[in-house]
Amino acid sequence: MSKVWRVAKTEYLNLVRSKAFLVSVFLMPFFSGGAIAVQTLLGDRVDLRDRRVAVVDGTGALLQGLERAADERNAGETMERGAQVRPRFVIEGASGDEMALSARVRSGELFAYLLVPQGVIRREPGEVTYHTQSPTYEDLPRWLRNTINGEVRRIRFEQSGLDRRLVDELSEPVPLRQYGIAEVTATGEVKKERLNELQTFLAPMGAMFLLFMLVMMAAPMLLNTVLEEKIQRISEILVSSVSPFELFLGKLLGNVFVSWTLFLIYVGGGLFVAAHYGALHVVPFALLGWFLFFQLLALLIFGSIFSAIGASCSEMRDAQSMMTPAMLIVMMPMFVWFVVLKSPNSPFAVAVSLFPPATPFLMLMRLAIPPGPAAWEVAVSVVLTAGFTLFCVWAAGKIFRIGVLAQGQAPSYRRLVQWIFSR
Amino acid sequence: MDAAVRLEGVTKTFGAHRAVDGLSLTVPRGAIFGFIGPNGSGKTTTLRMILHILYPDAGRIEVLGSTSRRAANDRIGYLPEERGLYRKMTVRRVLAYYAGLKGMRLSAARGEADAWLDRLGLASWRDRKVEALSKGMQQKVQFIAAVLTRPDVLILDEPFSGLDPVNLEALRDVMLDLKRRGATVIFSTHDMTKAEELSDTICMIFKGKKVLDGTLAEIQAQYGMDTIRVRVSGGAGALAGLGAGVRDLGQLQEVRFEGDPQELLRKLLERGRVEHFEVKKPSLHDIFLRIAGNGR
Repeated sequence: MSKVWRVAKTEYLNLVRSKAFLVSVFLMPFFSGGAIAVQTLLGDRVDLRDRRVAVVDGTGALLQGLERAADERNAGETMERGAQVRPRFVIEGASGDEMALSARVRSGELFAYLLVPQGVIRREPGEVTYHTQSPTYEDLPRWLRNTINGEVRRIRFEQSGLDRRLVDELSEPVPLRQYGIAEVTATGEVKKERLNELQTFLAPMGAMFLLFMLVMMAAPMLLNTVLEEKIQRISEILVSSVSPFELFLGKLLGNVFVSWTLFLIYVGGGLFVAAHYGALHVVPFALLGWFLFFQLLALLIFGSIFSAIGASCSEMRDAQSMMTPAMLIVMMPMFVWFVVLKSPNSPFAVAVSLFPPATPFLMLMRLAIPPGPAAWEVAVSVVLTAGFTLFCVWAAGKIFRIGVLAQGQAPSYRRLVQWIFSR
Repeated sequence: MDAAVRLEGVTKTFGAHRAVDGLSLTVPRGAIFGFIGPNGSGKTTTLRMILHILYPDAGRIEVLGSTSRRAANDRIGYLPEERGLYRKMTVRRVLAYYAGLKGMRLSAARGEADAWLDRLGLASWRDRKVEALSKGMQQKVQFIAAVLTRPDVLILDEPFSGLDPVNLEALRDVMLDLKRRGATVIFSTHDMTKAEELSDTICMIFKGKKVLDGTLAEIQAQYGMDTIRVRVSGGAGALAGLGAGVRDLGQLQEVRFEGDPQELLRKLLERGRVEHFEVKKPSLHDIFLRIAGNGR
């Protein structure tokens, strides 16, 4: 066992001392969270040009209201701290020559034009149509939809002789807030915990994505190190001193330590920030244990797969082509996580979270969503995933044993299966 | 005989190719054992089986009295034919790691590494990364990795390839020194001169089978004193029809003659003036060529 530790220690130190590791520690969160942050920060601040829209008002009653609403918006929500942060919407009345309006949109003079049919207020058949060459910009049509509907309602109420103020008062919505189910505390008090967005959405999603990131930052490194040792004939030296399985196990453990180091950096950093802002009470500490447990299993599963690929290939090109099916398995939770998040206790969510390669990610996410999965589901997922992990380590160990000394063309999948069951 | 390594009927097959075929040999303890044979004859496969890197399909391998991998491998040093060092690690670290895998304590490994680096002129490079070293220096580091743990058996696969004359002499001195300290050295080589100079016992395998085994004197005796070097006035042309084969060495010609050398001398004198006539033992090189050449 001491040889396994020596291999693990050297593997760990080689990886964490590499420039690639240090760069990835800072770049990975930047790439993962940066895109969201950039979008949130920039929003539509990039293009502040006026959005001019021509309105052909068949009713003759809506244009004024639209112009007034646009003026209010332009004076208010387009400005922050004295600076314009969103584009202004400019409304102008127009005649019904649609070809002329289309030409103006094409030339860039107009951003869009709007056709309002004559009988829209009287609820006659027909629809308001919005025409543009920039269909991906949704802020303007969304604002027009809300504003026109508000204006149409106002006119209809007036025409019906109803007091708009009274209608607004009577239409005021009843608030609805989400709570967990009631529980009796040790003191006999009935407790209902209010659910916030952090608990119901951000914590589960964040936990799953952080786990995915930590696994994907570490496990693929194994493919590179195993392949590099094989190409540079280091493997032959190593297996003259340790058995191939000891070597494989040592490398796998070293990789687990690398990923746990990343956990310490990111989660430790997060806890430090939370403590600084007095927000430690919102941290789901119970989840951290599960996180480390599923991180270990995921690393052993995917580390085994990547090691086996690295050992069985002699060139990076071969390894990359063998990576494709492996990556499909790795990415599986990414395809279904949103469905699981929306209905964490649905039969689909239960089934998919018991599928071992996906369990570490999806069961962790389900555990993070209050009130969490049933105890039997957790128990079954732990047993199945632990069994699958042992199988992966065993099978990859067998492939590693033969592959690490084999040279030449990469083996077929059939040959890999033969290696697994060879004596 | 007290054997460091003993192979009995060892066979290893890769697919349809039989790399080693029923090989039996004994390497005496404390000897330098030369392992020769043409490319692809099964030398490296045999050495890897001795190291338990590969397992034989049939036969038995005993190293230092044990057939167990764990018992023997920590007492074997290995220099593979193709060198393998971590390019991004420092020289001292890589040596300590390899020694550690043989069970040596880190502090002892560092001390021993420093002594060897000093001996082979690499002391000032110990804290540099391997990638900064020249190919020759890397070869010396690889050699140090093999001898660092003071192994009882040292296996060197083509240790002399690519070495300049100075390093070649240094390596030879170290091998002799290790032998004096009681270690058994097994080395494979294409350099027949080195095999002759260094080996107490020589084994040649060809197409996976043993074709020679014994001391140099025993092998030479087996192949007889039938090599005669001559220089005659007519040059190589004057030797036509004499002996089993004539090799033109330029200033001299070499004749393999089965029979009484005096008879050959008489025939040569009949053909012209004989300027040089030398009856010599066949060199290992000659024997190697004879076996490998006939077998092709």
